[in-house]
Amino acid sequence: MTDIILLTVRTLKYYLRNPAETIPGIAISVFFLLVYNAGLSGVSNLPGFHGSYLAFILPVAIISAAINGAGLAGQSLVRDIQTGYYTKLLLSPARRLAIIWGAMIAGATVLLVEVFLILGLALLMGLKSQTGLAGYGMIILLTFIWGMAFSGFSVFVALKTKSANTTQASTFVFFPLIFLSSTFVPKEYITSHWLKIAATYNPTTYAFDAMRSLLIDGWQAKPLVLGFGILLAFATVTGVLSLIQAQRSTRLG
Amino acid sequence: MTNIDRSITVTKITRTFGDYTALNGVSLRVESGSIFGFLGPNGAGKSTLIKILATILASTGGSATVGGLDVATKSTEVRQRIGVALQDVGLDPVMRARELLVLQGRLYRLSTKEAKLRSEELLKTVGLADVDAKRKVGDFSGGMKRRLDLALALVHKPDILFLDEPTTGLDPVSRVQIWEEVRRLNRELGMTIFLTTQYLEEADRLADHVAIINDGMIVAEGTPTELKASIGQEVVTFAFSTPDMAAKALVLLQPLVTKVKTSGHEVLCYLNQAAQNLPQLLRVLDAAKLTITNVTIAQPTLDDVFLQATGARLNIDPTKEARSTKKS
Repeated sequence: MTDIILLTVRTLKYYLRNPAETIPGIAISVFFLLVYNAGLSGVSNLPGFHGSYLAFILPVAIISAAINGAGLAGQSLVRDIQTGYYTKLLLSPARRLAIIWGAMIAGATVLLVEVFLILGLALLMGLKSQTGLAGYGMIILLTFIWGMAFSGFSVFVALKTKSANTTQASTFVFFPLIFLSSTFVPKEYITSHWLKIAATYNPTTYAFDAMRSLLIDGWQAKPLVLGFGILLAFATVTGVLSLIQAQRSTRLG
Repeated sequence: MTNIDRSITVTKITRTFGDYTALNGVSLRVESGSIFGFLGPNGAGKSTLIKILATILASTGGSATVGGLDVATKSTEVRQRIGVALQDVGLDPVMRARELLVLQGRLYRLSTKEAKLRSEELLKTVGLADVDAKRKVGDFSGGMKRRLDLALALVHKPDILFLDEPTTGLDPVSRVQIWEEVRRLNRELGMTIFLTTQYLEEADRLADHVAIINDGMIVAEGTPTELKASIGQEVVTFAFSTPDMAAKALVLLQPLVTKVKTSGHEVLCYLNQAAQNLPQLLRVLDAAKLTITNVTIAQPTLDDVFLQATGARLNIDPTKEARSTKKS
């Protein structure tokens, strides 16, 4: 446990000293919130669309922040592998998995800070939620699970390839994950057949749906069960993959 | 201090990487509290053995114990008792020297207070105490990085210290500083030191016991004095302008000396009372009109041991050689 705390603190210090690594993630999320809300809020006047567009677009900003925060986990591991510090940690009696969890927990912490910032900004912009404080709690929890899922993915790529470029490049799944979904309009409004299919199979859609139901419709069982269920399944898959890879990379070669 | 087992035993260790055999049945024993020099050229398998003993690489055959503990089954316990400075330093370039040392101490189960005290102590030991505390490790010179890496390996006062080519690429002054520190650690703390080197001088001056490795196999082993004595006699080296001449000289000199061999354009003769016998050798060569460009008489060196065992010279000049990137 001490090892995990020590290594998490070390990585967090790195982020504090290198804000350039975390600021773009926040900037993109703020951009989503401000620009899309300003440019597309007319959509909410369409017949059948209920609730504010701000509440509708907020989950997109939050999930985008989560992807950026979680992607940091893999990137910090690759950095350590390349400087040789990873080997130094392997030579120490530190718990093997603490070396990897330290990076993941630090990424998750950045992610939570980013999500709080985005939520705060939305509240300043006049966000109203149907489910109040508990609903925000649920949104943060959903984001955290989603973030862990993505962090598992980035750690897997980092340990598998040991390449900074590939790990950086892998964060580009950000685009299909965010955009092949009910990003700007509800799924019913998507006219393109292929995009509708893609949105149906994209786990992000269910994160959006669950968050939007909390903000706009109040407590609804179906989107929450689907949201938590699918995200947990997704996180389990990437979590198991990263653990297997972690064990493989820290085991004797 | 004397009761602790600080020995290393390696029994028929093999390591292959695909078709390539890096270590081929290596066996050796390092006594508690001794300095052991593991000498060999680049790619001979030195780093591979260190990585196996330091528990970050598995062997494909054989077994090894460090401080009486099996490296394969007791790896965590082994890690707690050893200090390791690998050839490629492992430092986080954005951290400060003190931060790295304190974190390292904490990972080796020291309390925060102990770790802080220890890092100040070590910074003094390796001569980095006066470095600006805010300076990032990434901005350190190569020699400073190496010294900090050594300090990191010493944080928990290990029983056994592994140094993988600790002076490769260092300037002569830094090399001597590292040598002095290694001797001090061994003498004052009774630390067993296992060091790999490609420098004969380093092994000769530091090590109580030397093993020479070539192509994954131990080719000679003993104290430097024993090894040199195994050559027995003095060595007269004639240098010629061409390897061709050296080959002709070999034939002529053969009946006159105990043993003779060529290495490029040089001919090495092993014989007793070299100085007294030299004129005779010169007369023979002169009669054959072989132009000698240089003659030296020397006591046998570890290089001669290496040449004797492998048929090639190790021949590395530490002052000229750039830091090698090839895996060894």
